[in-house]
Amino acid sequence: MRLRHPVTVARNRLLLLGGVIVAALAVVGVVVALLGSGSSSTKATTTISTSPSAGGGAEAKSTFAGVPQRADTLGRASAPVTLTVFEDPQCPFCRQWNIDTLPTVVHNYVRTGRIKIVYRGVVVIGANSLVGLAAIYAAAEQNKLWQMTEALYERQGDENSGWITVPLVRAAAREIGLNPAKVVAAMRASAVTSAIRQSVNEAQSLGINSTPTFAIQKQLGTLQQLQVSGLEPADFTSALDQALQ
Amino acid sequence: MRLRTPIAVACVVGIAIAAYLTYVHYAHTSPVCTTGGCEKVQKSKYAELGGVPVAPLGLVAYVTLLVLAFVRGVNAAAVGVFVAVAGVVFSGYLLWAQLGPIDAICQWCLGNDVTIAVVAALCVVRLLTEESG
Repeated sequence: MRLRHPVTVARNRLLLLGGVIVAALAVVGVVVALLGSGSSSTKATTTISTSPSAGGGAEAKSTFAGVPQRADTLGRASAPVTLTVFEDPQCPFCRQWNIDTLPTVVHNYVRTGRIKIVYRGVVVIGANSLVGLAAIYAAAEQNKLWQMTEALYERQGDENSGWITVPLVRAAAREIGLNPAKVVAAMRASAVTSAIRQSVNEAQSLGINSTPTFAIQKQLGTLQQLQVSGLEPADFTSALDQALQ
Repeated sequence: MRLRTPIAVACVVGIAIAAYLTYVHYAHTSPVCTTGGCEKVQKSKYAELGGVPVAPLGLVAYVTLLVLAFVRGVNAAAVGVFVAVAGVVFSGYLLWAQLGPIDAICQWCLGNDVTIAVVAALCVVRLLTEESG
């Protein structure tokens, strides 16, 4: 057995250390560049999402295609149970629920006529949420509230960074097949302002100050808050199944 | 063994922080906070990497480092340096996000930054001094 000189061992260790550090830097750099929040792919759906190619509309179209929709209500009017969802367009957890779980809820419960979903917009994060609600309720005038909600969540930026702008709303409207000018004009209409006020007042009267908050109302029953252990499809549908029993 | 014990102790501290933040994430509750910005940081888009929350990622990293602390040899020491340095670099990225785009500081993240830096420093010294197997 040949013993290596201590200087050689030390030099080899330093080389190994340098190699490992460079590899770690490279791996983290690539991962953050590809998946991090500052990556170009994320920006396409957040800050520079005035581009019509930003994914939300196509997703929204497939989720809601063929599902009856009237004003703020998604699903058949005759559905025996109403799920009311209180949301703020700037709320990241609302985005999570809409993107991850709503498609499952629509597919399993709304399309089958078991429930209908009612949207209630609230402002818990900041003034910019009001601009988002105006866009959402303006789209409701053309029975596309849920598509607009989805399109805005796909573009969600940092809270109170002012990401909900008129150009962004125009792009979202165009993507979901609405006339952008008509939507922007409707954002200032008294019917839209009144719908927002009514929604915010209802949330206040129920003491709702965090989002998303869910409530269930069965036929002839009262509105009961739906307690969920998580916002992922399995957690949410489990709570929903329990409430529907 | 001289350095593997302090590495293991620091990893336990890191596991405690990461486990708490993982619980906060999945329970949708607010973390205990004295800096006032924890919830904002937790709810920001930087709290996820490719759709995966960063808190459980940190938990996995610390558990890996803890296991490696009990394994003798240069290879284990080298893998430990890799994981710890990757953790330091990623923590640096998250610190940049807190000071810049998020504009809020989370005490738990700062605690994690210090812990992972200590673990990384110990892992580097371990690699340089570990006896060849």
